[in-house]
Amino acid sequence: MNNTVVKNENGLVGEGIGFERIRRITGYLVGTLDRFNNGKRAEVNDRVKHGLTKNN
Amino acid sequence: MKTIIKRDGTEVPFDEYKIFNAVYAANKAVDGEKMTSIDFTYITKKVLEQLEGETCTVEQVQDIVEQMLIRYDYEKTAKAYILYRAEHAKIREAESDLMNIYNELTYSYSKDADIKRENANIDGDTSMGTMLKYGSEGAKYFVDNYVLPKDIAKAHINGDIHIHDKDFYMLTETCCQIDLIKLFKDGFCTGHGYLREPQSIMSYASLACIAIQANQNEMHGGQSVPNFDYSMAPGVARSYIKEYYAALTEILAAKADMSYDAAKAVADKIRRETVAPTITMGEAYGEELGKWYDKEGNGKFSRETLVSCNKQAAESALARTDKLTYQAMEALIHNLNTMNSRAGAQVPFSSVNFGTDTTPEGRMVIKNLLLATEAGLGNGETPIFPVQIFKVKEGINYNPEDPNYDLFKLAIRCSAKRLFPNFSFLDAPFNKKFYREGDYNSEVAYMGCRTRVMANNYDPSKAVVCGRGNLSFTSINLPRIGIESARDWEVFYKKLDAMLDLVSRQLLHRFKIQCTKRGRNYPFLMGQGIWIDSDNIGPDDGVAEILKHGTLSIGFIGLAETMKAMTGKHHGEDEAVRAKAFEVITHMRDYCDRKSAETGLNFTLLATPAEGLSGRFVKIDAEKYGKIPGVTDRNYYTNSFHVPVYYPIGAFDKIAIEAPYHDLTNAGHISYVELDGDTAKNPEAFESVIRYMKEAGIGYGSVNHPVDRDPVCGYTGVIDEVCPRCGRREGEAISIERLNELRMKFPSVPVPCDCTH
Repeated sequence: MNNTVVKNENGLVGEGIGFERIRRITGYLVGTLDRFNNGKRAEVNDRVKHGLTKNN
Repeated sequence: MKTIIKRDGTEVPFDEYKIFNAVYAANKAVDGEKMTSIDFTYITKKVLEQLEGETCTVEQVQDIVEQMLIRYDYEKTAKAYILYRAEHAKIREAESDLMNIYNELTYSYSKDADIKRENANIDGDTSMGTMLKYGSEGAKYFVDNYVLPKDIAKAHINGDIHIHDKDFYMLTETCCQIDLIKLFKDGFCTGHGYLREPQSIMSYASLACIAIQANQNEMHGGQSVPNFDYSMAPGVARSYIKEYYAALTEILAAKADMSYDAAKAVADKIRRETVAPTITMGEAYGEELGKWYDKEGNGKFSRETLVSCNKQAAESALARTDKLTYQAMEALIHNLNTMNSRAGAQVPFSSVNFGTDTTPEGRMVIKNLLLATEAGLGNGETPIFPVQIFKVKEGINYNPEDPNYDLFKLAIRCSAKRLFPNFSFLDAPFNKKFYREGDYNSEVAYMGCRTRVMANNYDPSKAVVCGRGNLSFTSINLPRIGIESARDWEVFYKKLDAMLDLVSRQLLHRFKIQCTKRGRNYPFLMGQGIWIDSDNIGPDDGVAEILKHGTLSIGFIGLAETMKAMTGKHHGEDEAVRAKAFEVITHMRDYCDRKSAETGLNFTLLATPAEGLSGRFVKIDAEKYGKIPGVTDRNYYTNSFHVPVYYPIGAFDKIAIEAPYHDLTNAGHISYVELDGDTAKNPEAFESVIRYMKEAGIGYGSVNHPVDRDPVCGYTGVIDEVCPRCGRREGEAISIERLNELRMKFPSVPVPCDCTH
């Protein structure tokens, strides 16, 4: 994870800097999808949200 | 015959003497079939007669040597020759495979090479990360080719089973639940220096990190503190005493108009001569000061003056101690996320369990750990470690009238922002039966992603948490058994039993190797008495007996795909299938219990976490059986007994379906619910999920929700396309003025670093 936010000559910041997306993979949190192996990456993409209404 | 083509494709002059030598070597290796040099020359001649043309390959020549030895009745020599060929072929294959792996490790980046991303917490692109992989891959080859019984090695390689942490097969055990209270008493030694018994919450917290780190380098799995609140509470008490007397000195100096030194001399004297103040005593401690004055007297100030100092001193000490505890917890989290002490490439895999200590000191620890977690790391990043587990218990923190209910609420708020803590449930029947009020050693704890160690078949009087852990675990490719059984349950159970036998044999094979270790192999784990009953283990004493307190676990993956293969539906879809699925896992648990009874050891059933495994099994199976819908048509097998992640189902139904498996998987389990960002932010909704888990009999659970962060403006929450705080898209720049404006409103906005330095 690159956390250094650099200012460039024209006073702009953040160029080329992405968002961090923390996900839990087999119990451990991981800061970037880059380090997930292929199988787990696919699993994370497939995840659906679970609603809170009974019988849905 | 003029030339021969070697295996690497190069063509070299043919040398018939090499045939002579090979036959000679094979014959030398056998008894009772002595050949003379005339015989060697004869066979060589016969081989040459069979060879036609100008050139041929090494393999062709070797085939003919084999044939000629058999034709002329040198049966034993032929066998030796065939064996020699096979051995060399295996070594060549191993070497070339291993070299290919080293090649990939050396020359590719982890974003392109799956092998470098087997474990998401290791940065495979760093030197030490790569060095770790060189060692690990080399060790795996050694174990496959020279250590494992052939059928077991084959079962692993072809994907029937997965031997976890195979690179550590010859070395150590998985994990341990560390009792810091025991360790800190009278100080301890890491092998590189002696550390005195800590005297403040700050040193308690930093020594906790050191202990986790030291133990991590002696075991291959994650390390856990099962009683973190109880362990840190004495540190809080000690800090309070220090802070109290510091405050008393200053207040007394002011009130009695004394010099600082004179007041300090009085405070020191009181400290030596009275009982120590505690948070619980608070204002009541004034009486102790009065009693001291009655005995000692003092011409410089009155009894009333001294006693009147107490209230302020106690208040000040409490506030200061609270602040110090926060700083200590903050430092602990920072340390556990930054010290790459595990083989130089990883932070230790740490877990801390807490939530049940109801003393003011323990509560202060829990509160501040949660607050520091909620605040995040230096730039507001979500801490990845330690894995935090909040122990939920009726009468302690579950209901509004319980003493730690406020901390349960705080835990929910923190988890809704940071994904930790997870929640463990001490009232689940299979956990409750061990629980004894007021004894942390009886409170089930979870390690890392899910490991649970509690019952003790080897020594039932020591069914405790502290000092025990998993020895090793191996997982079964359950979907493959499903695929190969072609919907015939009789065949299925026959195959499953054969696989369970193979895995238990393998676990015992590994256990036997582990039992050859001595105290000196574990200077910290055994040398410092972390492992149960290791207090009297000297450097040359064997550890075989005390390792029996640990568990040997049989794991499984893909119950959902197994049921798809056997019935066409998974257990989330159909009630009848659910009953069948439950039978399968019950069968596996019964097997483990039988095996425990038979061996006197602790065989347990694990709902395997399977980070690398989820992709490995299915890849092999898809190649072997093709893409079977719902079984091998995705890039992963579903985690243990989970309802598949892609299957639309409500949170409560998912919990209800998965809960019964928690009871069966005594080596560890976890259930997850995925909430969208808005629901997770609603504390009532979040709490309703946790409460439902508890009522359903879940042992360990957590809620997943998206936690995104924009490193430019520091926003943490859900970010879709556009950052809701600063309005930029990924990769876009914003003006420094805009950022400064935002900082007025949100102090957490990071200060950009100037590119000139």
